[in-house]
Amino acid sequence: MRKNIKISLSLLIAGAMTVGMLTGCGQDAAGNAGTATDGTAETDDTALEATQPEQEEASDEEQAGGASASGEAVTITAWHDNDEAMMDALAAVVNEKLAEENITLRFEKKSDVTGQIRLYGTDAANGPDMYLFAHDSLGGFAEMGILEPVGNLISADKEADLLPMTIEAASYKGEQYLMPVYYETLLFMYNKSLWKGEVPSTTEELYDYMVENTDANAGTYALVNQHSNSYNVAPFINGFGGYIIDKDGNPGLNIQETKDAISYNKKFAALQADGDYNTVTALFNEGNAAAIIGGPWLVSGIKEAGIDLGIKSLCDFTLPNGDVMTPYSGVQCLGVLKYAAESKKDAITRVLEVLAEPEAGITLAKEFNCAPANSRAYEDAEVAANEMILAMEKSAQKAVPMSNIPEMSVMWGPAESLLAAVNKSGEDIDAAADQYQEEALQAIADMQ
Amino acid sequence: MNHTKKNLTPWLYNLPAFILIGIIVLFPILYTGYISLTNMNLYHWQDYTFVGADNYVRALGKIDSGFIAALWTTLLWTAVNMVLDVGIAYILAVGLNAKGLRARRVYKTLLIFPWAMPAYVSILAWRVGMYNTEFGLLNKVLVALGFEKIDFLSRNVPAFLSCMVLNLWMSLPYMIVMFDGALQSVDRSMYESAILDGAGAWQKNWYITIPSLRKVMAPVIIMTTFTTFKQFDIVYLLTMQKGAVSGSTMQTIITYAHQNAFVSNNYGLSSAVSVVIFVIIIVFSVWTNRAAKEV
Repeated sequence: MRKNIKISLSLLIAGAMTVGMLTGCGQDAAGNAGTATDGTAETDDTALEATQPEQEEASDEEQAGGASASGEAVTITAWHDNDEAMMDALAAVVNEKLAEENITLRFEKKSDVTGQIRLYGTDAANGPDMYLFAHDSLGGFAEMGILEPVGNLISADKEADLLPMTIEAASYKGEQYLMPVYYETLLFMYNKSLWKGEVPSTTEELYDYMVENTDANAGTYALVNQHSNSYNVAPFINGFGGYIIDKDGNPGLNIQETKDAISYNKKFAALQADGDYNTVTALFNEGNAAAIIGGPWLVSGIKEAGIDLGIKSLCDFTLPNGDVMTPYSGVQCLGVLKYAAESKKDAITRVLEVLAEPEAGITLAKEFNCAPANSRAYEDAEVAANEMILAMEKSAQKAVPMSNIPEMSVMWGPAESLLAAVNKSGEDIDAAADQYQEEALQAIADMQ
Repeated sequence: MNHTKKNLTPWLYNLPAFILIGIIVLFPILYTGYISLTNMNLYHWQDYTFVGADNYVRALGKIDSGFIAALWTTLLWTAVNMVLDVGIAYILAVGLNAKGLRARRVYKTLLIFPWAMPAYVSILAWRVGMYNTEFGLLNKVLVALGFEKIDFLSRNVPAFLSCMVLNLWMSLPYMIVMFDGALQSVDRSMYESAILDGAGAWQKNWYITIPSLRKVMAPVIIMTTFTTFKQFDIVYLLTMQKGAVSGSTMQTIITYAHQNAFVSNNYGLSSAVSVVIFVIIIVFSVWTNRAAKEV
């Protein structure tokens, strides 16, 4: 008898464990296992915190069905890894406009969004409907065949006001896959109370200033930069006529122009601490660095630190070769997953249409200093007077959009290793450039 | 009939566990093996086809001078870490068991602390709090003593030593606790006899403590050797993390494989490399298990 009880109990526990283990694989009635709001879904800890009250209400009625034309509530889920307050503000603009149509846009924060999209890009049950990320990952997703071109969802006249540079960044092989929302470039940001005199207009004058005003042992710096991050060194590389990868997918780590730029950057790097993101950001925010090369993503921390911030476009600095520093521009875009375009086409179209209007850009510009992709947003007086946005707009005229071909995804590693080898380990530029060019070619070959 | 039922019953009881193990352990391994035989990559995401052993030929082609150097580094890393880990843990555990030691429990609690912290947090805390050129304690001390700052992670030898110190910090608590537990099982009367025979501290350790601990500690040491051999996160997060590459080119076989296969989005090739590493680790595991039996 006791034996039977033991056996029954063991089987019961084993069965319960099995059911428990497999629960996560299930779907809710509406087929939204990955984005459900009942707390069992697989989301980042912070993901649900980002939702608006109205989003929570709507999610109760969430369903996978198609258009809102039938009057049914539709929730569009978008993954991102941006500032959550910014995404909430963006969602609020859309949700307010589409409230009567019963369409809700909900952002969920995910770490490593590109990796997550690769994993879930064909998984209608667990993946998102859209994602928001910089345009450089576009080529890979387009080749995977997981994205629906936005041209199939929204008419060209609705996008007429978008800046051509942003449309170009959102296109791959002649097809526009993404919806540009805002763009960003690197800027020269300085602490007005620490910077002495006028900000120079040439990089040589800037270097002289750095030599005079840097004391590494005391931990005080004139200018800090992520000197071994290829995105942050791109203003030098592009300005010298070099490139990390060309439009045909050929790496350019060991071409003479790139090597000249890296050699030139090295003397600045020697006066810029270790160049890690956390280090340089902390140095600037704590008042130990008078200036930093960074982007709008730093502004919230700078504001919290109470710094009187001055901004200058990097394109206002002339290099020794007579050209100006030319940063990359990164366009933050929304991509639509194919399966979502099939099941929620009308609702997604409406979301894209609202995002293509100036209001979303104006909100992001006013509250978060983002440079809108919509040119009409700049007609707003407050946006037009924003110092940071003006500097980015100026930079964007010369900035080089980051390459969005698939090969770009494997170039960041070798490029960063090359810069670290030269700046941190003191390796010879020629040998290191050849070594990492070879590594880049191998990485590209390995993609096939 | 009864005999058959008797034979099947234990299997039936174990069936739920087998199903779980099959889903969690076996399926991923088999699926990785399957993917390794296809050309699944960015360009053939949904229309991938069977390519036979092509990916294995390419994976084995990666066993070049870089791989051999990484293998030597891994062996050196494992040997140095284990010798120090076992040696220091033994000394500390014996010290903690010394007669008359006050606040023994406090020391034990403090020593276990690094082990209780999540590895990711520990590693990042050390990178910023100890090794960072601006905020790290070591550089603060150097500057206070009038020396120049040192970037501990930018060159191979200092980076190796820095990773090793952190690895010891993280792994010592476990080893100390195991030694401490094992020491409780040593028969005290042997020490009393040894004292009567005129044995000193060294002789008691060498002739009584160490032989008594050998059988108890062998599985622990072998398991730790195994985890040290396949260490990834310390080396990766201290020196190779995207956006914070330190300049050191130190590679273990796992970081080498990661850098050469897993950044390419070529799942077929990456899976083949995974299978090759899996086989290497299985061989290492069999070898260490055999060594354990011989102890």
